[in-house]
Amino acid sequence: MRSIRSSLGRSSRDLPASRRRSRRLAPLQTGGPPAACARAQSEVALLLLACLMAGCPEAPDGPRYRGAGADSRQGGGTVVIHHESVVDTLDPHKGWNELATMAVRLCMDGLLDYDHDAELIPSLAVAMPDVSEDGKTFRFRLREGVRFHPSEALPEGRELTAHDVEWSIRRLLHPDTASQGSAFFMKIDGAEAFHAGESEELPGLRVLDDRTVEFELTDADQTFLNAMAMPFAYPVAHEYFEHFGADAGKHCAGVGPYVLESWERGVQLEYRRFADYWNAQPSPERLIYQENLDRRVASLRFRNGGLAAIHRQNTADAAFYTTAEKWEPHRELRVLPSSWGVIMNTEVAPFDNVHIRRAVAFAIDRQSWARARGGRLRPLGQLVPENVPGHVPNLEGAHTFDLERAREEMRLAGHPEGLDEEITLVMGDGDVSRIYGELIQSDLQRIGIQVKLRMLSFAAFLQETGIRHRVQMLFSGWNMDFPDPANFYEPLLHSRAITDENSQNRAFYSNPELDTLLDEARAETDGAKRRAMYREAAKIVVEDAPWAFVYSPMLLEVWQPYVRGYVPHPVWSQDYRSIWLDLPRSRIQ
Amino acid sequence: MDPRAWRRFRKNKGALVGAILVALVTAMALVGPFVAPHDPNEQRRELLLRDDGTPVAPGEVEGYTLGADTVGRDELSRLLHGGMISMQVAFMATLIAVVLGLGVGVTSGYFGGLTDSIAMRTVDIVLSIPFLLIAVTILQVVEEPSLTSLYVLLGFLSWTTLARITRAKVMQVRELEYVQAARALGAGVPRILLRHVLPNVIGPAIVIATTLVAQMILVESAMSYLGLGVPPPDASWGSMLREGEEMLALAPRLMLYPSTLIVMAVFGFNLLGEGLRDALDP
Repeated sequence: MRSIRSSLGRSSRDLPASRRRSRRLAPLQTGGPPAACARAQSEVALLLLACLMAGCPEAPDGPRYRGAGADSRQGGGTVVIHHESVVDTLDPHKGWNELATMAVRLCMDGLLDYDHDAELIPSLAVAMPDVSEDGKTFRFRLREGVRFHPSEALPEGRELTAHDVEWSIRRLLHPDTASQGSAFFMKIDGAEAFHAGESEELPGLRVLDDRTVEFELTDADQTFLNAMAMPFAYPVAHEYFEHFGADAGKHCAGVGPYVLESWERGVQLEYRRFADYWNAQPSPERLIYQENLDRRVASLRFRNGGLAAIHRQNTADAAFYTTAEKWEPHRELRVLPSSWGVIMNTEVAPFDNVHIRRAVAFAIDRQSWARARGGRLRPLGQLVPENVPGHVPNLEGAHTFDLERAREEMRLAGHPEGLDEEITLVMGDGDVSRIYGELIQSDLQRIGIQVKLRMLSFAAFLQETGIRHRVQMLFSGWNMDFPDPANFYEPLLHSRAITDENSQNRAFYSNPELDTLLDEARAETDGAKRRAMYREAAKIVVEDAPWAFVYSPMLLEVWQPYVRGYVPHPVWSQDYRSIWLDLPRSRIQ
Repeated sequence: MDPRAWRRFRKNKGALVGAILVALVTAMALVGPFVAPHDPNEQRRELLLRDDGTPVAPGEVEGYTLGADTVGRDELSRLLHGGMISMQVAFMATLIAVVLGLGVGVTSGYFGGLTDSIAMRTVDIVLSIPFLLIAVTILQVVEEPSLTSLYVLLGFLSWTTLARITRAKVMQVRELEYVQAARALGAGVPRILLRHVLPNVIGPAIVIATTLVAQMILVESAMSYLGLGVPPPDASWGSMLREGEEMLALAPRLMLYPSTLIVMAVFGFNLLGEGLRDALDP
C-alpha cells in the first residue's frame, strides 16, 4: 500500500539556527587571558541577546544560485534529492511505498509507463501491446538493445529478453516472495493456483520468442495494463537474486537510467548515470538520494543551495515558499491523487449503525480543516480524488459539512444527545497527525461524540488497524497506484480485501451489491458504461459512509533555478529521472 | 518551624524571589482554569485562523488577549489550563516520590542489615537506568497513556535520591541518646520512627521535594514534547511547546509563552529549594 507514511510528518528536534549561531560565536570563546575571557563572555551574551531580539542571520529570501542559462539539455553535474523517511528495499516485488518507488524508478524501467497526462505509454515495450478482441490476451514486443546494469552479480551486464519478464512475473507471484503486489496480477491464467503453491505452471504467461511475451487472462481486466506499469512488474535480472540471495533488495537489478553505486542504509543512495541506457540523453552524472532528512532541515539546506528540490514542508516553510516572489517560477502546488478520511469499522459498535457513520461524515468541517492547514489540502466528499478518473463532480450525497444533517442522523440513530461511550480513534503518530486528531475531536464533539486519540507508530498502526474487530475508528489515507477508480474501490472497500489480519479493507465494509458492480466494472470494455458503473459505486459508498471522506492533500514542490526539465508527474511522486542541470551555477545571494 | 530558620529564610533574597515565583505559578495553576476566558479545547477556526492558516496575533481579535494557537484555540486559556496539568503532574509525581523515598529511607536506615542492603541495591538499580529512556519506553508500552500513568511513572522513578539522604540521616539519628532512651522506655518501633526519627529528616526531605518539583516540571515538558505527555486535546506547557514548534518561524510566541512559564516555575522552585536548604540546614 502506497499510503499514509508520506503525510505523517515527523518533527525534528534539531535547531539549525542555533547551531549556526554557535558556530559563528565559537572563536570568541577560545583562548585569551581571564579579562579577555570575561569580555568575550559578555560579548557572547550581548550577541546572543542581539540575535534573539533581531533574529539570527536569515537564509536568503530567494534562490541562492542560478543556472548558466543553457538553451538545450546538458549532461553532467551532481543532483542531491531527499526524502524524510527511509527506503526499505529496492526489490520491486516487495517495496510498496512512495520512497521505494522513487528509488526503484531511478534504476529500473517497466514495459509500460505513464506520460505527463497520466496516459499509458510503451517504455521497454516497443509499442502498446496487441490486445485480443475479448480483451483477455496481451502480447508485448520488447525493445532491442535494452541492457541490464553491469554489477558484481552480472559483471558484463546483458541484454533484457522476454525470459526476464517471465522470470520476474513468476517471482512476483511465487508464494515464497509473498508480494503484496500479486493481487494485481491474479487474473493471469493459472496465477491463483501458482500463487497458492498448488501448481508450478503458469499457463497464462508465455514467452513466444526472445522479444515477445504474451499474457492470457481468465477474464477481461481493464486494470491489467495499469498493473503492468507498476514497479511490481518491472523486469529484474535473476542473476542478482541468485548472487545476493536475501540481500538482493539492497541492490538494484535494473535497466533504468541510473546505476545504483552504493547505499548506506538510512543515510543515502548514490547513483551514477548509466551510459548504455536504452533511452540515453544528456543527464546529470551523479544522483544522490538522501534518506531520513527532516523536512525543516531539508528546507534550510534547500534554501542554501544544497538540495535540488524539496517536496514537503512544515506550515511556516510552506507559507514562506508560497509567498516568496523569487521562488514563484520554481514551484508548483498541486492536489495529490490520494484520499484521506476517517475510516469507521462497520463491523463493530457504534459504527455498525449507518446513521452514526453518516453523522460523522457530515460533522467534519472540511473547509475549516483546509484553513487550519494553510490551504494545503483540498476538501473531498467521495472516495476518488478530483484528479483521478472515476471522480464524480457534483455527486449526489457527497460528504460535506452539514451540522444539521449530522445531528439529524444522530437522532435517527437513536442518540440525539450523542454517544455515551468514548470512541477511540487510532492514528499514526507525529505532530501533523496530532493536529488532524484534534480537528476530528473538535468536530465530532459538536454532535456529542467524544473521541480519544490513540497514536501508534506506522508499523503498529498498519498491524492494529488490519485486525478484524479490533479498532473502532481510524484516520488514514490511500495514495493512488495507477489512475483508475478500481485502484481505490477494490483494495479499500471490496469484501475481497477483508481478511482477519492485515486487512486492506480497514472499514471491514462488505456490500455484495458493490462487490458485483466493482467486478463488472473492472472487466467492462465500454468506457461509457464503465464510467456509469463507477458513478453508481460512488453513490453507494457515500450513502453507506464506511469512510467519512475528508480531503486530498496538496503538495508544494520547489526546485532550484538551475534544475531544469522537472515537471511534477501525475502518477509518480517526485520523479526526478528527466531532470538536467544548467551548469555552471552562479551565486546570486 | 524554628524561628531562626524563618529569619534566615527571610534574609535570603534568592529564596524570597523563589517563593514569590512559586506562589505566582502555583496560584496561576490553581485559579487559572476558573478564570480562563474560553474553553481551552474549543477550536474557532473561522475566527481565530487567518486565510493562510496562521493563528491570529495577540489582540487581533477582541477577547483573545494572547491570540490563538495552530488550530484556532485561545492561547491564554490553554496556558492557564496547561499550568494546572503541568503542576498537577509535578506535584503528584513529587508526592509519590517523597512518600516512597521517605518510607524506604527511614526503614532502611533504621533497621539496617539485610533490609538496608536490599533497599540500597534497589536504589542503585533505579539510579543506573537513564531516566528519560526508561520513562519513554514504559509510556510507549502502556496501552492507554493518561495523566495518572504519567505521574505514577515519574514518581516511581524519582524517589531514590531522597531515600539515600533520608537513610543517612536516620542512621545518625537512631544512635542519638533520646532515641536510645525512648527505646529503653519500651516505645514501639512505629512510635520511635514517627515521633523521634521522622521530625529529624523532614527538613532535608522538604528541600529535596522542592527541587524535585522543578525537575518534574521539566520532565513533564520533555515527555509532552516527545508526545508522551497529556493526551490531546488537553494542554500542558510541554505539549504546547511541541504544538508551537511547527509554527516557530511564523509565530514564535507559541513557544515563547509556555517556555517562559516553565522557566519561571523551574527557576522559582529551585531558588526556593536552595533557600530552604540554607535556612533549615545552615
